[in-house]
Amino acid sequence: MLKDVMGVIYTGENDANLRELTMMRAIAALPVAGRYRVVDFLLSSMVNAGIRNVGVIMQKNYHSLMDHLGSGKEWDLHGKHDGLYVLPPFLTRENVGVYSGTLDALRSNTNYLSRSKQEYVVLCNSSMICNPHMDQFIQFHMDTNADITLMYTREESMMRDDMGTYIQVAEDGRVTDMEVDPTHPTHNNTFMEILILKRDYLRDLVDKGVAHGHHELSRDVLMPMVRDGNGRVMAWEYDGPAWRLDSVQGYFKFNMDVLDADVRRKLFSDDLPVYTKIRDEMPARYGENAMAVNSLVADGCIIEGTVENSILFRGVRIAPDAHVKNCIIMQDGQVHSNAYIENCILDKQAVIKRNARLIGPNAYPIVIAKNVVI
Amino acid sequence: MMRKKTCVAMLLAGGQGSRLGILTKTVAKPAVPYGGKYRIIDFPLSNCTNSGIDTVGVLTQYQPLELNRYIGSGAPWDLDLNNGGVFVLPPYQKGKVGEWYRGTANAIYQNMAFIEQYNPDYVLILSGDHIYKMDYNKMLQFHIRNGADATIAVREVPWEEASRFGIMNTDAESKIIEFEEKPKQPKSNKASMGVYIFTWEKLRKYLTEDEADKTSSNDFGKNIIPKMLDDKQVMVAYQFDGYWKDVGTIESLWEANMDLLSTPLPIDLHDKKWRIYARNPGYTPHYIAKGATVTDSMITEGSEIYGHVHHSVIFSGVTVEEGANVQDAVVMPGAVIHRGAIVRRAIIAENAVVGPGCVVGEETGNIAVVGNGITLPAGVSVTAGQQVDASTTF
Repeated sequence: MLKDVMGVIYTGENDANLRELTMMRAIAALPVAGRYRVVDFLLSSMVNAGIRNVGVIMQKNYHSLMDHLGSGKEWDLHGKHDGLYVLPPFLTRENVGVYSGTLDALRSNTNYLSRSKQEYVVLCNSSMICNPHMDQFIQFHMDTNADITLMYTREESMMRDDMGTYIQVAEDGRVTDMEVDPTHPTHNNTFMEILILKRDYLRDLVDKGVAHGHHELSRDVLMPMVRDGNGRVMAWEYDGPAWRLDSVQGYFKFNMDVLDADVRRKLFSDDLPVYTKIRDEMPARYGENAMAVNSLVADGCIIEGTVENSILFRGVRIAPDAHVKNCIIMQDGQVHSNAYIENCILDKQAVIKRNARLIGPNAYPIVIAKNVVI
Repeated sequence: MMRKKTCVAMLLAGGQGSRLGILTKTVAKPAVPYGGKYRIIDFPLSNCTNSGIDTVGVLTQYQPLELNRYIGSGAPWDLDLNNGGVFVLPPYQKGKVGEWYRGTANAIYQNMAFIEQYNPDYVLILSGDHIYKMDYNKMLQFHIRNGADATIAVREVPWEEASRFGIMNTDAESKIIEFEEKPKQPKSNKASMGVYIFTWEKLRKYLTEDEADKTSSNDFGKNIIPKMLDDKQVMVAYQFDGYWKDVGTIESLWEANMDLLSTPLPIDLHDKKWRIYARNPGYTPHYIAKGATVTDSMITEGSEIYGHVHHSVIFSGVTVEEGANVQDAVVMPGAVIHRGAIVRRAIIAENAVVGPGCVVGEETGNIAVVGNGITLPAGVSVTAGQQVDASTTF
C-alpha cells in the first residue's frame, strides 16, 4: 500500500532570520544535533513509512544539500525503481528559475510529478524538525476519505506572530478555519507544512492555481478551500516534539533541547531511526584532563579541555584548558587552549585561537561564520 | 564475461579464533568488535579499497551469520561494484561431494573458479586477525619489481618473541632463503604477517599439486611456502614497519583497544587519506551527562554516559549508569553497566548487561570477560581472568 505514496520536499523557504547560518546553504542543509542536517528528519520519516520515491525541490544555495544527499544511499533511496530525485531550479521560457512559492515550484516540476507512478503525494517544507509516524498519517488520510489531510501540532512553542498557518479542527478531524500569517494566531493548532493528497489532485490544484496567478499553497489554495467548504480538508495531530527553525534562536533552542534525554528518546525512537550521511570518523577521544558535562559529542572529536551544555559535531577539537559553554560547534571547528566561549554557534571549520574570549548574550547567540578564524 | 583484474584479494575469515574464548562462541573472529566502532575485518577490507584492490573474496566457514550480515553488499567499503566488489565465499557442494575448508590453502583451492573469473596476474592472501593499515599496492609493486613468484609481508618483532612466529630468514636482497615455523632458536626476527602476494599462475600450480598430495595439511605456512622454497622459486620478504597488532587472544584484543588511548595514536585512525570504513549503526552522537566524568577514553555514537569512565573504549549504544565505574575496560556495542557497578580490566561483550553493584575484573591480573548477551544479576563478582557465558552459575 505505502508503495503507492511518493514524497516531495520543498526547500526554498525564506531564511533571512537565520543570518550567516544560511548564507551558504538552504535551511534543509543546516547541520543540527551533532551529525544531522535538517532534511534528514523528514526524509527518514518518509522512508520509515515505506515511501520509495522522494523528490527534493531545491532553490538557492543548494550545493551543500546536493552534496549531503548524494545518491540517496544512506536513506536506501538509490534503487532502480524510483529513489531520490534532486530537483534544482532551471530556466525555460516560462520559468525564470526563481520560485515565488510552493505552487510555483511544483509547476516547474510538473514533469517529475507526472512521470511518477504513485497515487498519493506527501508534500512538505523543510524548516521544521519533527519525526512523525508518516504511515499513520497516510493511513488516516485514506481512512477518512479526505481530499487533503494536513499535519498539525498543538505544541505552543510552534506558534509565532506574523508567520505560520494555524487551523481550527472540528471533533471529526475536519479543518473548519485557517489563518495564514496572522498578527496573533487565534487557533492554537499549528499546520506543520506537511500534507497528503492524490497526485492527480495536486497537479490539478497546481495548474488551476498558477492559471489564476497564485504562488502559495496555504494562502492561495488551502485557505479558500477551507473557507468555501469545496473540498474535504482533514487534519491529523502529530503529538511528538517539533521545532520551527525560523531564526538563530530557534536553531539554538532545538539543539539545546536535544541535550534532554527525554527529548532525544522521543525524536530518535528505535522504530523511527533518523539516517544521515556517514563520514567514517574514528570515535571521539577524551584526554587526561578532559571535562565534559551535559553535552552531545560526535565521532572524530578530540576533547582535552572543558565542555558544558554543548553540541560538538564531527571532528571538533577542544584543546587543553579551553572552555566551551552553551555552544554549538559544527564540523571540524577548533577551540584552542585558554580560549573561553559561551553562547556561540561556530559554523563549519571555524577556529577560535588561544586566549580568545567570546561571550554571547543568553537570548542572542553569536554566530561565527564558516572558515572564520578568531 | 568478467573484465580482467590485475590483483584479486582472498581474505581467510573461516577460522574460529578459539583463543578468543567466549567472544567467538557465536561469531567468527573477523566479526569481533574493535576500537569503538569497527570490527576486525574493517581493517583488511578498508586496506583493500584504499589500495585500489576492488575484488575481494571473503572465505567464511565458522559462524558466518554475523559476518555475512556485516559485509552485506560491501557498500561501506565502496565494494558494491558492477565489475568486482566483495563476495562471501562459503564452502559448497561439488557434484556429489561437499566438504569443509580443510586448511588455508585448501580454502583457496576450492575457490579457484572464483579467482579464474577475473583472470588475475596476482592474488593477495589476507587474514582477518590483525589491526594494521597497509598499502597492498606498494607491496604488489615490490613483488613485480623483484620478479617474484611469492612475496611475504614481514615485520620485525622483538627477538624474545620471535619464537612465537613464522620466521623468514632472508639474504641482503630480501630474498627468503629459509622459513621456520616457531623456531626455538630464531636466526632472524622477521615474522610473517600472514599477508602474501602470489603470481597467480604459480600459486595455481602449487595449489593443485598440494591438493593431490594426500599427506599435506593444505596450509600456506606448513605446505605451500616450504614447497615453493624447496623448488627454488623466487620468494621475497616485504618489510612493513607500521602498527600491526595480533588480536587473536583476549589479552591482545584488550591491549589493541588500549593502544587507541595512548597519545600520539600508534595507529592514526584520523587519517583522511586512509580511512578505516565500517558499517554505521546510525545513532545520535554520544551523550555525557551532568555528573559524569570521562577521561583518557574513546567513546562513539549512541552511547549515554551518566557514570565514571576512565581509560576505556566505549562502543556504540552503550549505557553507563550513574555511579557506575568503568576503568581500563572495553565495553562493546549495546552493553549496559548499571548503577554502582565496578568494571576494571575487563571486556564486556555485545549486549551484555552488568547488574547494579556488580564487580567485574580486578585491578591486576588477567582480563575478565562477560560474554555476548549475558546478564549479570545484581551484586555478582567476576574475578580477574574469569569468562562468563550462559553456562556460568552464580
